[in-house]
Amino acid sequence: MQLSKETPAVLPVLELPRLAMLRDERFLVGAHIITAFAALSIGALMGPFQAFHRAPAFVEAFPDATIPVFSYYYQALTAHGTLNALFFTFIFISGFSYFMVGRSLRRKLWSLPLAWAGFGAMLVGLLMMLFVLVTEPQRSSVLYTFYPPLIAPPTFYLGLVLLVLGCWITAANVIVTANLWRKEHPGERLPLAVFAAVANHWMFIVSSIGVAVEVVFLLLPASLGIIDRTDPQLSRVLFWFFGHPLVYYWLVPAYISIYTVLPQQAGGKLFSDPLARVAFLMLMILALPTGVHHLFADPGVSEVNKAIHTFFTLLVSIPSFMTAFNIGATLERAGRARGGKGLFGWMFTQKWTDPSVAAQLVALILFISGGISGIINASAQLNITVHNTSWVPGHFHQTVGGIVALTYIGIAYWLIPMIRGRALFSKKMALAQVYTWGLGMMLFGHTMAEAGLAGVPRRSLTGISPFLDEASKYWLNGAAISGVILLISVTLLFTNLVLTLAGSPKPLADVPEIQTKGDPRSPMLLERWGLWVGILAVLTLVAWAPVFAEAISATQGFQILRFLPTGVPMP
Amino acid sequence: MHIDRYERAWLTAVGIALGAFAAAMAAGFILFGIRLPSPVARINPNTFAGTPYANPGIKSLGGGRYEVFMTAKMWSFDAGRDSGPVGVPPRVKIPRGSEVTFYVTSLDVDHGFYIEGHAINLEVIPGQVARATVTFMQAGEFNIICNQYCGVGHQVMYGSVVVQ
Ligand code: HEM
Ligand SMILES: [Cu+2]
Ligand SMILES: [Cu+2]
Repeated sequence: MQLSKETPAVLPVLELPRLAMLRDERFLVGAHIITAFAALSIGALMGPFQAFHRAPAFVEAFPDATIPVFSYYYQALTAHGTLNALFFTFIFISGFSYFMVGRSLRRKLWSLPLAWAGFGAMLVGLLMMLFVLVTEPQRSSVLYTFYPPLIAPPTFYLGLVLLVLGCWITAANVIVTANLWRKEHPGERLPLAVFAAVANHWMFIVSSIGVAVEVVFLLLPASLGIIDRTDPQLSRVLFWFFGHPLVYYWLVPAYISIYTVLPQQAGGKLFSDPLARVAFLMLMILALPTGVHHLFADPGVSEVNKAIHTFFTLLVSIPSFMTAFNIGATLERAGRARGGKGLFGWMFTQKWTDPSVAAQLVALILFISGGISGIINASAQLNITVHNTSWVPGHFHQTVGGIVALTYIGIAYWLIPMIRGRALFSKKMALAQVYTWGLGMMLFGHTMAEAGLAGVPRRSLTGISPFLDEASKYWLNGAAISGVILLISVTLLFTNLVLTLAGSPKPLADVPEIQTKGDPRSPMLLERWGLWVGILAVLTLVAWAPVFAEAISATQGFQILRFLPTGVPMP
Repeated sequence: MHIDRYERAWLTAVGIALGAFAAAMAAGFILFGIRLPSPVARINPNTFAGTPYANPGIKSLGGGRYEVFMTAKMWSFDAGRDSGPVGVPPRVKIPRGSEVTFYVTSLDVDHGFYIEGHAINLEVIPGQVARATVTFMQAGEFNIICNQYCGVGHQVMYGSVVVQ
């Protein structure tokens, strides 16, 4: 891939309005983005059907109905969790990172062959996951958190190993490319998008060590029969070492779009570049010492450790409050420039009819709601009332299903046309998709939260549960209605994307502008990566060493037998 | 680094709000004695002999205080024969106003232990004893629900506490 501005004539530069996309880049980014959305098309399709089968009224009306593709409920749920939350997000993040880094630095990647190798690993991983889910529906139904002593077939774990391997390659490629650029441009600040991507990939490298150790040393050997005992509490600790940073790994690329693309799309300019950098660094540093807030109800973690992680959890909400201000101010300026008057007038003058802008604005609205329920989850005592109830999926469909997925969709609405070289098939269809998604997720979040408060468990085929009261049934039926709205939205999304890829009759028009310059007023201190990664490592060690010590001292030498989801011990 | 006047005010407000949250949580722990589950004991689920789990059930400590030992397995809870026959979701009978400490462990995989309308919500993990205490002030029947995925029968794993 060659990006030098001086010799465009001899290079295969695609003639695009403000942004060129080179052939190599187009293939690499295109392969990632299209694969990611293919994974989402299967995973997201399961969602509405889960909502239907969880609703007693639906099961009563259609006792013989089955879920398409993955007919068994927990098979569908495992597919939904792994394909949406792991494969779609990770593969998208790699493709989008490559695009933003190449674009903002106007420089080729450190290693294109390595990038393709990473893509290959992720693609094979995805195919392995699909294969095992289809061929061994019951044995592979261990959900996307794969807590032992439930053990899936080896293919399940190998698929995940390949996925994470691909992400490590992306991380190395992004970080090394940024370093090379810094050597070539002494004294300059990294463009904001690259700064954020570097922080995000560092965080991923450190945090994924937890899940890698869990899968490679505990689960895969247990699945292969090399060891016949596990330790579930230790596994949960290792998983959540990774699990909370994971949510920021999803969120930061959405923030990259909102901080570095949305301001220009909205007709303005980012309010404060330096404070955006501070926010990204805080997300990176504070993402790790917080994971125990997912283990508030665990018997093997002491209250002191729970309290320490709660403290850091409060701190890690600060960058999101900073984002609320920075983006709010950015949008206000853009809205006023477009004629908005008075206290709230600027909200009405946003580009609500531009699909990409609308997607990101609706995503931000969902995040206000999801963020507030998140603070409730994080309050150690309130958590006990909602832990493992439907409240939790209610919350995270407004976060990962809201700001994350919808922003990624908003990106796809300009990036996929660029990859294809033709305009989006239908702007109207895209707008209808964005607003039905927003409405559906709002309603889904609300009904699931109410169901959770009424006691409805999560991860459960509640449509046939014998213990539900009237309130529980009412809210579950409500969630199924939001499932109908979301099914419409999913259908609109994929119809539009497929028709765009098939080639829309219209030529490519609008492509957003990308910031290629870092703000020179941003302090150089913020670019001292050795320092920040060092702080990340120290905080991680301090916050997690006692948790691991506790979990390891509690294993008594791995006594727990392995089980299959069908209820029998593993031979 | 330049920070806008309004942003400074906003961040101060955020700082105060988070400080208030932290104080409320600390008060919950220290002043109101709200406890989270924490390590009680480890147990080998393959050999329960000699532990209370060999014979799950209700123990009265006197003075309106009770201990309930329960096990969870795919896909039922067991609270001993006082709470009903084997294979039927147990109904744990408790006099109104009692303070009950539940000790729950698993025979096989991870389960959940949640009681409707009461602040008790535990991850039940094989090898670990999960403990929580609640006071039942209101008469009625409250479902105990397994709220952690535990395999194909997860959706029918429940029991109840009958407060008389
Ligand atoms: C398109 C509309 C969607 C609908 C109607 C939907 C519906 C659902 C439902 C009903 C559940 C709960 C199942 C249960 O607890 O038994 C669920 C779980 C989940 N969803 Fe979605 N979903 C949608 C989209 C998404 C998207 C876009 C993502 C992420 C990118 C996502 C990620 C998840 C995850 C991670 C779980 C948890 C799985 C588990 O507990 O193992 N969903 N979804
Ligand atoms: Cu978390
Ligand atoms: Cu269960």
